[in-house]
Amino acid sequence: MAINQIGTLPSLGLPKGGVTSTGAGAGIEGSEFGNSLSKLLESVESTAKDANQAVSAMTDGTGDVHTAMIALQRSEVQMQLTVQVRNKLVAAYQDLMRMPI
Amino acid sequence: MPLSSAIAASASALDAQRMRIEVAVSNIANAESTRGPDGQPYRRRDVVLSSTPVDADPFGGALGRAQAVGVTVSEVVQDQDAFRRRYEPSHPDADAQGYVATPNVDVPEEMVDMLGAARAYQANLTAINLIRDTIQRALELGK
Amino acid sequence: MPEISDAAILSALGRQLNNAVAKQTTAASNLANLDTPGYRTRDVSFDDALDHELGDVRRTNAQHLAAPLGDGAPVEVQGLQSRRDGNNVQLDRELLALSKAAGDFSRAQTALTAKFRLVRYAINEGR
Repeated sequence: MAINQIGTLPSLGLPKGGVTSTGAGAGIEGSEFGNSLSKLLESVESTAKDANQAVSAMTDGTGDVHTAMIALQRSEVQMQLTVQVRNKLVAAYQDLMRMPI
Repeated sequence: MPLSSAIAASASALDAQRMRIEVAVSNIANAESTRGPDGQPYRRRDVVLSSTPVDADPFGGALGRAQAVGVTVSEVVQDQDAFRRRYEPSHPDADAQGYVATPNVDVPEEMVDMLGAARAYQANLTAINLIRDTIQRALELGK
Repeated sequence: MPEISDAAILSALGRQLNNAVAKQTTAASNLANLDTPGYRTRDVSFDDALDHELGDVRRTNAQHLAAPLGDGAPVEVQGLQSRRDGNNVQLDRELLALSKAAGDFSRAQTALTAKFRLVRYAINEGR
């Protein structure tokens, strides 16, 4: 189950170029970016859910320790990624607000 | 979890092999007991081992996963081989013809059994350590 | 040579972990039954040539790779010498198999951990 859903790690739902584009012109209103964002949030939720399932399988004896660990790592990585995206967005917003009119 | 089932299987072997050793020791200790509480010579004992699945992973079989199989002592039986007879008229338990019935225990054979059991015990102990190390490694995954 | 995707590597490593666990389980079971009359040595077989998985780069749906390729259910091992009571477990063979599987698990775990670290490093821009 979970162990084989490692799939692609950080690249879920983001446009190529990942988190490094903080330019104001990144098209924040663009629906493509909005889509990517919500996909990212969904992936945080789904990896967290997988992790919960894997951990509870481990504790009741039906799942492996390594499967649970991998699920936990995956969800942590997703979370970190999302936090970084948020940080970049916040930084971009602050840049914007600092611009002289 | 499959690995802890594996440990349970190895642990069951520790119990079984230890019992095997105890029985061998008892046989050796009583090799010359010509008269027990029932008036008969000591009868050699033996353990009967049988494999038993470790049930901790009831769904594993359905998923095609390897199930751990342990071992138990299903019974301790008395060896029905005939007692030995030795000519020793002076022995307190000698019969009218001067023969003593002695236990059907062959001490060297018991020693060999004991060594085999000890070796098996050791191997299963090693197995437990190896598996435990693997579980440790699993817990460190990704860190 | 076609590029090996992250997904393929990760699922191959995941499979190696699962395989190692299965091997350890059967080896431990065999060792436990070293002296059980009539017990036959079992093993699990995996068709685990790495190329098999990595060769097909279109196969990114890791779900299909969940089960070991070679069925993975324990089968009786052929060609081992039996003793008088019908038991054919060889102590050294099983101990070796167990050690090897532990080593395989360790290696896959190391590789997987390194992969995660790399990913985190990339996400956190080296911090």
